[in-house]
Amino acid sequence: MNTLNLAFTIDYANFDFSINERLDLQGIIGIYGHSGSGKSTLLRAIAGLETKLSGKISFDNEVLTCSKDKTFVKAENRRVGLVFQNSRLFPHLTVVENLKFAAKRCKNSKLKLDDVLQLTQLQPLKGQLITELSGGQQQRVALARAILAEPRLLLLDEPLSALDKASKKTLLQLILTVQKQLNIPILYVSHSLDELQQVCDQMLVLEQGRALTYGNIHQVIHQLNNSNNSLMHQQTSLALPIKNHDNGHGLAVLELNDQQELFMPCEHIPDVIITHKPSPTQPLVRCFILASELSICLTEPTNSSIVNHFIGTISQIEIQQNQVLVTVNCGEQPFFVTISAFSQQKLALQVKQQVYLQCKAGAVRTFIH
Amino acid sequence: MINPDLQALITTLEMAALTTIILLVIGTPLAWYLAKMTSRFKVIIEAVVALPLVLPPTVLGFYLLIAFSPEHLPGQLWQQTTGQQLAFSFSAIVIGSVLYSLPFVVQPLQKAFEQLGDSLLEAGALLGAGPIDRFFSIVLPLTKASFITAASLGFAHTVGEFGIILMIGGNIPGETRVLSIALFDHVEAFDYARAHIISISLLIASMILLASIYLLNLPKKQSVLKHKKTGQH
Repeated sequence: MNTLNLAFTIDYANFDFSINERLDLQGIIGIYGHSGSGKSTLLRAIAGLETKLSGKISFDNEVLTCSKDKTFVKAENRRVGLVFQNSRLFPHLTVVENLKFAAKRCKNSKLKLDDVLQLTQLQPLKGQLITELSGGQQQRVALARAILAEPRLLLLDEPLSALDKASKKTLLQLILTVQKQLNIPILYVSHSLDELQQVCDQMLVLEQGRALTYGNIHQVIHQLNNSNNSLMHQQTSLALPIKNHDNGHGLAVLELNDQQELFMPCEHIPDVIITHKPSPTQPLVRCFILASELSICLTEPTNSSIVNHFIGTISQIEIQQNQVLVTVNCGEQPFFVTISAFSQQKLALQVKQQVYLQCKAGAVRTFIH
Repeated sequence: MINPDLQALITTLEMAALTTIILLVIGTPLAWYLAKMTSRFKVIIEAVVALPLVLPPTVLGFYLLIAFSPEHLPGQLWQQTTGQQLAFSFSAIVIGSVLYSLPFVVQPLQKAFEQLGDSLLEAGALLGAGPIDRFFSIVLPLTKASFITAASLGFAHTVGEFGIILMIGGNIPGETRVLSIALFDHVEAFDYARAHIISISLLIASMILLASIYLLNLPKKQSVLKHKKTGQH
């Protein structure tokens, strides 16, 4: 497995960025943060587009930048690909010419242009001018072009942010397919947690130019619930095996644990089911439930139209102004529930208390839904 | 013996062609440097480049005449290197023309480079293209129209020079006697018929050249339409 060592600072007049992290490059690593957190700055530094940084960036044992030794590998020699938010295709070239631009400059290329055209479904568009393409098509070309340069690391800078829902879905699935088939490590920058939750295994969180946390995607999302991050919706992030794609009533059944199940609308299940490396044979569905859409009952709510209810034990109660964030463990899976301070007073919930959680099937969401 | 006006035309074309080539060679890196420069000294360099636009040509000609004379360093160096006097030579009018027409080449190129920005160049670098590769495969095709405009303006402006050539070149047939000087000669000698021929020829040629530049800079609509049509076949 490749590693990327980041230990550098960048000082601008009105913004400074500082990081000291070692990323194990496997699968897709998410980089999450709000506008101005330094996500793009980090990608630009890794790609070799930021020259004024002090510190060191290395890929395995190869030093890409080291201010001390005055080492700086130029962007064109780094073999790091970057797909920008606004595609940055060459407007004077057609689709296929844009792709050939990358292929021609790739030394010892292994990928065939036709194979990449087929993988990215660009065959019908290959003779078209860039100006004639839609935003989604342009991003597909940008992705194909980046792949043809055969980078050892691919950086995606908010690749879906300018696209409509349908294009987002297509491109996200394409990114997953590309990652799986070509096995290129990807750093995926986004300010949308839903997007990252759907595709990433690990996630790095940036805030105001600093790395806040880095680790397993689900654990990091759960850590963020407690960080008073006002711009993020508190949620439970899940990756569960699928038991039944359709129970005959338009609901898919997921396995929460040996005894308990979770229902979700069939149409929320993505076309490409994301698999986890340890169990490639058993597909896992990535989904999330907003803390505001879960509720707590002291008795089992059997006579309710709400289909999902499961038993758990309260592990933490955190009072946040007029709201209370309750963490309930159902087996090993923690669930995060926000209730009003009024409800907390009424129910007098306590740590280690056994409670029932409930939510509608529609509250179990995946990317886009 | 060749017709003196034809000789003047040949000298003019030689001078303008050589000047344009030199201007493109010098002007491109200068325009690139100015487009990318963020220092406060940028305005000073821009002002120096733009000076010939406002300065009377005779002022520039006067100082160049002094500099080119064998008593001063530039003239001395030239004479030592080439064994010939610089003032009143073909080389002198080419150097004068380069300085005089510099803004006509640098300004459109600088504007084009500024508009192009860095985004596509960064994309090119990330695909493995080095600086020279990026210039020829991205910058040049995307600023082609500005290069043609710059070259045409530089050429046309050099053809139309008078004051500066009179000052540093004089009126030596086959060496420094260009069309504008020949025209002046005919007018002084009341030979209006020949003056008319030169004037109308310069007028029509300039008109055609400028119209071609404007045609080239028309919005790209037509080329897209053309592509669509061919794509349908």
